Amino acid sequence: MRNIFKLALTDYFYEWQMSSCFVLALAAVLAPMMILFALKFGIIGSMVEQLIEDPRNREIKPVGSGHYNSEWFNSVREKPEVAFIIPRTRSLAATMQLKSNASTRIIPAELIPTAEKEPLFYKDISIPTGLHQIVLSESAAHKLKVAVGDQVDGSLNRRHDNQKERVHIKLTVVGITHLAAFARDGAFVPLDLIIATEDFLDGRAVPALGWQGDLPLESERSFPGFRLYANTIDDVAALRDGLVASGIEARTRAADIDIVQTMEKRLNAVFWFVAVIGLTGFSFSLGANLWANVDRKKKELSVLRLVGFRTSDIIWFPVLQALLTGILGWALASLIYLAVETSINRMLITQVDEDNPVCRLLPLHFEVALIFTVGAAVLAAALGGYRAAKIQPSDGLREI
Amino acid sequence: MTRMAEGIEFRLTVPSLQISLGEKIALIGHSGCGKSTLLDILAMILQPTSAGAFRFRPEKEAPPIDVVKAWSQNDLNFMGDLRKHRIGYVMQTGGLLPYLTVRDNINLSRQLLGMPDDGTVEELAKNLDIARHLNKHPDLLSTGERQRVAIGRALAHHPSIVIADEPTASLDPIAARKIMALFIALAEELNITVIIASHDWKHIKQLGLRRLAHRTTQNSAGTVTETKVTG
Repeated sequence: MRNIFKLALTDYFYEWQMSSCFVLALAAVLAPMMILFALKFGIIGSMVEQLIEDPRNREIKPVGSGHYNSEWFNSVREKPEVAFIIPRTRSLAATMQLKSNASTRIIPAELIPTAEKEPLFYKDISIPTGLHQIVLSESAAHKLKVAVGDQVDGSLNRRHDNQKERVHIKLTVVGITHLAAFARDGAFVPLDLIIATEDFLDGRAVPALGWQGDLPLESERSFPGFRLYANTIDDVAALRDGLVASGIEARTRAADIDIVQTMEKRLNAVFWFVAVIGLTGFSFSLGANLWANVDRKKKELSVLRLVGFRTSDIIWFPVLQALLTGILGWALASLIYLAVETSINRMLITQVDEDNPVCRLLPLHFEVALIFTVGAAVLAAALGGYRAAKIQPSDGLREI
Repeated sequence: MTRMAEGIEFRLTVPSLQISLGEKIALIGHSGCGKSTLLDILAMILQPTSAGAFRFRPEKEAPPIDVVKAWSQNDLNFMGDLRKHRIGYVMQTGGLLPYLTVRDNINLSRQLLGMPDDGTVEELAKNLDIARHLNKHPDLLSTGERQRVAIGRALAHHPSIVIADEPTASLDPIAARKIMALFIALAEELNITVIIASHDWKHIKQLGLRRLAHRTTQNSAGTVTETKVTG
């Protein structure tokens, strides 16, 4: 065994020009495959995924207003397709004037109820809790000239018993959302605060905030609307159909979803089409090269057979060389790929954010490429070697 | 033993052949008469179409080995092991491995057998007058020098038998005679059985080899050539 290892290596490096050709030929086919896959992974993978992941595509909006009680919310919350649901109060009663010390402007902001798992927030935004925390939309924060941690003053006014009444509430900004989450002036607030707002505007008292007024509602509260998000865009249609079946008319961005899904399917199909053709070509070129190499060495393998090397040794000889070709070819292809990746991403870096480069591969992809290459190489060489080992030693000797 | 190549056009029959240990045998005949075929069968690198008996006794006291049985089991490794230990083979065209130096080529069988580096290779190279080429690759050597290396490789592991197929056919007559004489002398010195095929009896007559008798006949239709070897 050690002998055949040594012989195979000696031959491989003695014939370094031929060996380099095999390595180059392999890398020449493998590197473009890797680049193609990296582009598909980078562009289709990230960009389409972003579109798919866009929470607004997963939203289901009720049309008109209804009467939804906590029992209904609990039943919807338990559905497996539901990622997030929270009650909405009347939109007219969900507005608050915001003011900060840094700005002279008073902003009327839409209040949006929020809770844990808020789908419009990025991970780094904290969820407001209690009655004194809010998350501002980017445009509201900009107009108020506040940053995270600053205080703003919220105020509400109503006509109650023929008198103008105004209350103030101190609010801490715990987060500012990206523009994409909410484009207008808005504030994400805990449900309790929005209920308190509605109660006050309806003339009732809010004891928790020391606001005077009529006695609180005795009967169970029902909400006119809700914010509902499905787990994935694939769940949207089913969820909406379920609502419609129970008499709730709802709107979704079905058309947009359809476009995204169709696009993803087509781009995937195109990629796999190219990839299968490429991989087939790659396998054949690799196999043909190594097979031809075994044929070329038939005489030398016969000599080894003649001096008494065993069948397994004769097979190992080309297999070892193919293994080397596979590993070196893969390494060269990886280097070529990394160089191309760097320049592609540098060229397009202004158009993509740094977390989602256009061209990228995970370490796993490199491993898969190595395993596939070495596997195909060894298989081709082993078949060739087996064929060479099976022939009578004298057959190869008389050639030339 | 019968060997048929491409149907029935060629037939080599060996009704009986006995070669003793240490004997030096010459197989003389023009090309195409079946010399190489017989040598390949004797070297166990070619399987005859049918075989009655083929026994190989590698040493004086050793029990004979039934080669026909190994063939019937298609045990290439068994015969490979036998060749590795017992047989040296000199090919018409050297058959050297281009990627090994002369030293490693001569040493190939020894290394395969795990034999020690005891100066045998250098000694052989000196006797064959190729000591100065030991560290070169075969492509830098002349044809005659390559044949000397091939002879060295066939002898280096002290086999029982060395089989040589026209070892000097590609050389000029003077060099051929010189190398053949050297080869026989070395084999004699090492007490190795030698079987040489050649088309030129003149060259090797005076080296004291036993010539095998053979007769080539053709059937009336001319479709079958039959060579019969006995000895």
